[in-house]
Amino acid sequence: MSLLELKSVSKIYGDLKALDNVSLHVDEGEWVAIMGPSGSGKSTMMNIIGCMDKPTKGEVLLDGVDISKESSRHLTDIRRDKIGLIFQQFHMVPHLTAVENIMVSQYYHSLPDEEEALEALGRVGLRDRARHLPSQLSGGEQQRVCVARALINHPELILADEPTGNLDEANENIVLDLFAQLHKEGTTLIVVTHDQEVAAAAQRTIVLEHGRVAREVINEDFGKTL
Amino acid sequence: MANRSTQKHTMTKRKMFLRMITSSLLRRRSRMIIALFSIGIGATILAGLVTIYIDVPRQMGAQFRSYGANVLILPKDGQTLTTKALNESLSSVPPEEIVGSAPYRYVRLDMMTRQQSFTAAGTDFNQIIRTSPYFSVEGSYPASIREILVGKEIAETIGLKTGSSIELTYQPPIREETDEDAAASGDFLSGSAEGFNGALVYVTAAIDDQAKITSIAIDATTQTPQYGGQVMENEDFEAQFIGKSVPLTLGEDVDALTGATITSTAVVTALNQARRTSVPTQPRSVTYTVTGILTTGGEEEGYVFMSLDDMIAITGENKIDVAELSISASADKLSSYVEQIEENSPVAKARLVKRVARSEAAVLSKLQALVFLVTAVVLLLTMICVSTTMMAVVSERRREIGLRKALGASDESIRAEFMGEALFLGLLGGIMGAILGFAFAQVVSVNVFGSSISFQPLLLPAAILVSMAVAAASCLLPIKRAIAIDPALVLKGE
Repeated sequence: MSLLELKSVSKIYGDLKALDNVSLHVDEGEWVAIMGPSGSGKSTMMNIIGCMDKPTKGEVLLDGVDISKESSRHLTDIRRDKIGLIFQQFHMVPHLTAVENIMVSQYYHSLPDEEEALEALGRVGLRDRARHLPSQLSGGEQQRVCVARALINHPELILADEPTGNLDEANENIVLDLFAQLHKEGTTLIVVTHDQEVAAAAQRTIVLEHGRVAREVINEDFGKTL
Repeated sequence: MANRSTQKHTMTKRKMFLRMITSSLLRRRSRMIIALFSIGIGATILAGLVTIYIDVPRQMGAQFRSYGANVLILPKDGQTLTTKALNESLSSVPPEEIVGSAPYRYVRLDMMTRQQSFTAAGTDFNQIIRTSPYFSVEGSYPASIREILVGKEIAETIGLKTGSSIELTYQPPIREETDEDAAASGDFLSGSAEGFNGALVYVTAAIDDQAKITSIAIDATTQTPQYGGQVMENEDFEAQFIGKSVPLTLGEDVDALTGATITSTAVVTALNQARRTSVPTQPRSVTYTVTGILTTGGEEEGYVFMSLDDMIAITGENKIDVAELSISASADKLSSYVEQIEENSPVAKARLVKRVARSEAAVLSKLQALVFLVTAVVLLLTMICVSTTMMAVVSERRREIGLRKALGASDESIRAEFMGEALFLGLLGGIMGAILGFAFAQVVSVNVFGSSISFQPLLLPAAILVSMAVAAASCLLPIKRAIAIDPALVLKGE
């Protein structure tokens, strides 16, 4: 069953077609990588899937709901309830501790629950760093906190934008291991990357070029190397 | 840690909200301290000015009282005003509002040796200090009998210094026999007799058609003040003479004053030997000691000042021409006091010194307007300062705001968080302002007005409310900016 479906989606800025008649679908529980060089439309697609932008043309069905015509207020609600976001720059609230940063996500979603937030930190192996401020954490640790934050509200879709772009190899592997675990648990993952290795960890890779889907690659080795 | 966690297991949204806004202020100190300071300083100046504003009428009232009397008390037509009647007339005014009341009796006294005459004023020096604080005395105010204060002008003309002696003579007014007033007011008995140590005691008494004494003035200033001198101050002693006719017998008609038998005897003897005249007394000369030279910059420099007792002694009359009153009250209250005095007293009438009362009200309202204006300007400046700081805070926190929105924060949440931070700032700034503002007002009050002020308990909640309102108002525009931030900015690899 497809969780996400893009039907002939275009995003046009003046003369520029950032996305040109793109169609794709992602099944529930699938792990998909989106690749492409700069200017290929990755970010635009990410914004649309992440409910932060609307397409000029076409339909976007998330969990059966067309989000292409929703008001931005509604899009905020959908994003909050269904999507967990992970960013290249980590993005934590600088004056809140690790556990508080996770609780912020709970706060906007439903109710903050410190115990649950601490458990999520435990999952990414950072329970003992719960009271540290972002400035006291390494980049890898910050990204792991962000993974924990993305998970906390049990989203149907985790959307990661270059999640390992600012990490060294050791931390990249830790994050990819976490993704693999999430995948095993049935979470749907969409990872936007330009890193071959990161893309290779996914089940399927969609390659964008000039705003169009250039090709799709199925990873035959999936589940064997990891 | 585990205990703490379980305790906090069910954390409410409100708790998390408070945790977020307080940690924003406490952990992001530098920028927020600037905002806190602008609110705090604004609140300080506001609280200070408001305190002064409230206190100004009282402060300025006291201040204006140093420029002289604002009410005059005069005898009603055909009436005689005495110290006693003056004090009775003042019962209409609350005692705590009376700064001072100085009686004056003016007569001309001659200096025979130089053929000059001066205006002499009999008064109460203790009251003068209060009603005319601008009097500047070189030397000291007279403290005992036959001591006088001399105006600078006289002192320079005659060459008087502190400690000099001067003999002054009182010439009673010449009454013509045909004068109707003289006939109505009757004749006088005027005489003297030797008292203690052979010193003379003077007595002047007014008598009516039946030769009964209607009033008596005793000059026993030559007698020892605490013994014989008491006859001048003891009203009961003097009252014994009223309604009686000479000759009098001590012990029958009149009882001697305890401790002043010799002087009492002298008073009775003086009356019995007195000449009946149509003038109150013979010219009388008294030698005075100058205790101080008076400088006022006004006409008082041409006067001689003596105590009311000395004045009664030399003139033989107990009366007051005018009393200067310094009352610390608003213009409206003053007018009502003036009316009450007129109504209640049979002999006294009161007049407002309009020049002083009016300028007081005018200066007061101008000062209040000025404080009000400054308050408004400070309020505006505080708002601009806080607004600018908050604007900078918003652009500094663009990413954080974008992140919050990406995490699902609604516009209302963003607005509530910023407003919460602003109100929290306002609360801290208000507390700071109330405390520092009171200190500021106190310093201003002590340095400018020379008196301290009491803390207005309402100041604290008022300062907090105002600074919270200012902080909230200042944040409206920055919040608008914050809400306009695009959550997608967190996705771009900036």
